[in-house]
Amino acid sequence: MTSAAVVSPAQSPAPSPVDILRSLLRADFAVLVKNRRSLILSILLPIALLLVTNNARGENRLGGSLLVVGVCITYGLVSTSIMGYALSVARDREKGVFQRLRVTPAPTWTIMASRLAVQSVANLVIALVVAVVGGRIHHLHLSAEQYLLVLAASLLSGAVFLAIGQALVGLVRSADSVNSAGRILYLCLVFLGLLGLEGSLGATMQSVALWSPVGVTMSLYAGVLDLSRWSSHDTLSVVACAGYVVAGAALGIRWFRWDAR
Amino acid sequence: MILGAFDGGGTVLLIVIGLLLVVRIGIGTVRSRRRQGPRPDDAEASARATPPLPEAATLRRDRRDQHRAASASDVLYVDDLVVAYGSKRAVEGLSFEIGQGEIFGLLGPNGAGKTSTLSAIEGLVRPQAGTVLVDGIEVERHPTEARAKLGVQLQATSFQSELTIAQIVRLYAGLYGLALSDEEIGAGLQSIGLGSHASREFKQLSGGQQQRLSLYIALIHGPVLLLLDEPTTGLDPQARRQFWSRIEHIRDGGGSILLTTHSMEEAQAVCDRVAIVDHGRLLATGAPRALVEEHRDDPLVREAAHGDVTLEDVFIGLTGGEIRD
Repeated sequence: MTSAAVVSPAQSPAPSPVDILRSLLRADFAVLVKNRRSLILSILLPIALLLVTNNARGENRLGGSLLVVGVCITYGLVSTSIMGYALSVARDREKGVFQRLRVTPAPTWTIMASRLAVQSVANLVIALVVAVVGGRIHHLHLSAEQYLLVLAASLLSGAVFLAIGQALVGLVRSADSVNSAGRILYLCLVFLGLLGLEGSLGATMQSVALWSPVGVTMSLYAGVLDLSRWSSHDTLSVVACAGYVVAGAALGIRWFRWDAR
Repeated sequence: MILGAFDGGGTVLLIVIGLLLVVRIGIGTVRSRRRQGPRPDDAEASARATPPLPEAATLRRDRRDQHRAASASDVLYVDDLVVAYGSKRAVEGLSFEIGQGEIFGLLGPNGAGKTSTLSAIEGLVRPQAGTVLVDGIEVERHPTEARAKLGVQLQATSFQSELTIAQIVRLYAGLYGLALSDEEIGAGLQSIGLGSHASREFKQLSGGQQQRLSLYIALIHGPVLLLLDEPTTGLDPQARRQFWSRIEHIRDGGGSILLTTHSMEEAQAVCDRVAIVDHGRLLATGAPRALVEEHRDDPLVREAAHGDVTLEDVFIGLTGGEIRD
């Protein structure tokens, strides 16, 4: 019935995904720069933690200066991924920003890939700043190789918390609820990491904490900052990180809705 | 390595960290509250069950059977469209077409299926049945290519609040494969009276200015069909009249427009043809004046009329007078 009027899309091609992704990345980076206060806030907590642990007692409590730096980077990433990324996605979804983008030729994967890529860059910036400042405060002399390993580890651990943030925004619809749930999750992860790993919540909670997202990323940083003490536990932590990324991404993609309604 | 790293105690350290977290979360909360913008309207939020049609509407149910085949001159061709959400049908066998240089109004009460129809045309929902061609391209098979031919202004337009007007224009031009220079963006904004607002944020514009910018962005790539979803909602009469002039200008230049609206005054003023839909079905279609003439003596329309029969009376007569959510 309609075939006579149907034309081939080859006659009027859509813009290439590369051009589209470039435009989205430019805009998302502009948003990141505009939101630099949020980035600075995410760096402030780890920096403050570095300052209060700037003594032998504090370092010992957290297992040494190298581990302190790893803990601080982890908390910076938790903060920006769960409090920052998830909330910004939920807020934009509620305001209809995604719906507006989706009625353009932009494939949906480019919209989310751009956001994740920009957030990953923010994660790397946080990790680098905390590593540099942490090295200064705690009188560490990190080599170029160690900095590179920290950045590589930050890509993976950042992906862990971004995946958790994505799952959060996939499972929870409204921005208000994402905000509330994100804060609870944030506190749970941070205190599970500190209290659980310290052992004050008991042996069971210590095991839970050890294999929690915070625990495995702390192990990862501890491992890459001191490769001589890399153990099978650290290798398993890398595998666990990958597992968290896959599980979080699966939940976040499967249940994600572009429209808040 | 991490095992045994914590040597117990550390109460003071934990209290300090706790205080820092409270400060961080407190600041996050304040920022989040400040940033919460207006929520989108709830109109047509979900598909509705299909209640019985009014008598006058039932008489016109066979209209879709008469729908002609697509022709090369159709900018939009919708044939026997069915959109369902689970077991609920939002659009049930809707058929219409739009030719070049035509403003077509899609009218219906809340929940009639207007937004679902637009979503199917935009390729955002997959129809259960039917055909949608945009300039001859099948939307279901080639949604990206079809969307490249559409210009869209949504009911509640929202752009990233952190971006300036110039950045928003650059972004949306880029999404259609256009690389605009600063001068081109400035000239474009000048043409809609926003030349001095390039560095402002979208939320800093007035309703009329936001609407002008949204329309400008929808047209930035020279689409063959412009979709306008209740574009004048919330505008003052001056801004609304100005908007009508703009879309008539687009039509006079050969552009085609699909407009949804609750304003019968708007439909009568600017639309060449309208379709009245309810419960996902087409009840009537034709030029506004012709529809009024056709239904002038319809008892339900007469009952709705206060004096001279208007398009609104026809609309109420066909769709019923009950309030929709």
